[in-house]
Amino acid sequence: MTQKFNFDATDRSIVELLRHNGRATNQQIAEKLGLTATTVSSRIKRMEDANQLRVVAVSDFAAHGFSFLMEVAIEVDGRPASEVAQELAAFPEVFAVHLVTGRYEIDMLVALRDFDDLSHLLLDKFSQIHGIRSMTPAIVVDIIKYQFDIAPIEA
Amino acid sequence: MATIQLDDLDRQLIEQLGRDARVSNRKIAAELGVTEGTVRGRIKRLQQERLIAFTAITGLEMEAKSRLAFLSIQADVDNVRAIGRQISELPLINGVMITMGQFNILAICLFDELDCLVNVASDKILSLPGVHHVETSIAVKTFKYNTRVARITEDGLITGLNR
Repeated sequence: MTQKFNFDATDRSIVELLRHNGRATNQQIAEKLGLTATTVSSRIKRMEDANQLRVVAVSDFAAHGFSFLMEVAIEVDGRPASEVAQELAAFPEVFAVHLVTGRYEIDMLVALRDFDDLSHLLLDKFSQIHGIRSMTPAIVVDIIKYQFDIAPIEA
Repeated sequence: MATIQLDDLDRQLIEQLGRDARVSNRKIAAELGVTEGTVRGRIKRLQQERLIAFTAITGLEMEAKSRLAFLSIQADVDNVRAIGRQISELPLINGVMITMGQFNILAICLFDELDCLVNVASDKILSLPGVHHVETSIAVKTFKYNTRVARITEDGLITGLNR
């Protein structure tokens, strides 16, 4: 288990400003919060180094031509589930892969361009991965809430 | 859905800013071999067309909620949107999708203590009228979590898939 990172009030104020405008300069942030630009810069770096902050451009599904989303629950047999998860994570269409407790071993989110993508991915790609016993897909027909700005951050 | 025309430069910008949005226009321009003005103009256009938005993504530890769980829910088919909305208003729930499959709602829950998860899943959600069954899977390891692609809406907030 990694050691917990401690955020103080200054860290939180910086993050709040960055959530609204990720491209605000250190100087602009410093002026708003009554800090120096150097402090802002080092605080951001500290949070990024601890994998607790990423300031990024989020792009729309449309920018990548994706038009629908699907959840796929996977049962693994005869192979370590972590290995299967790693292979699945390599596909660009796969947005999230988690090892989970319960009936299935792996839960993933997949974005697709069109219906042809579906058979191609499920039948030609995923089903060729050794160790997958079954795939149970659920097509996302509506998204009521999708808050992604708090998330596990990869190193 | 409208087809969006992006050229290689747009794609390179999306790729680079998707890794780190705090790089200066000057540095991007130098790397891509274009002028700073071109970079500025392209970014502005991509933002205006709601193809990109700049934001901060924080790790789970910042919120003191370090675990993630998927709640697969079976709810009354004729009222599934309304039930989904009620679930989305509950604390700890950061994602709610209506699905077609074995379950008709998928909710994502961020939590720290198991008590909190049980409270949301087995008490709050299960007691909503029209909810019949909740299956909880706790994520024990994350292999991938791409937060860089989402739905960007008019008010700049980033929400779901449906425009």
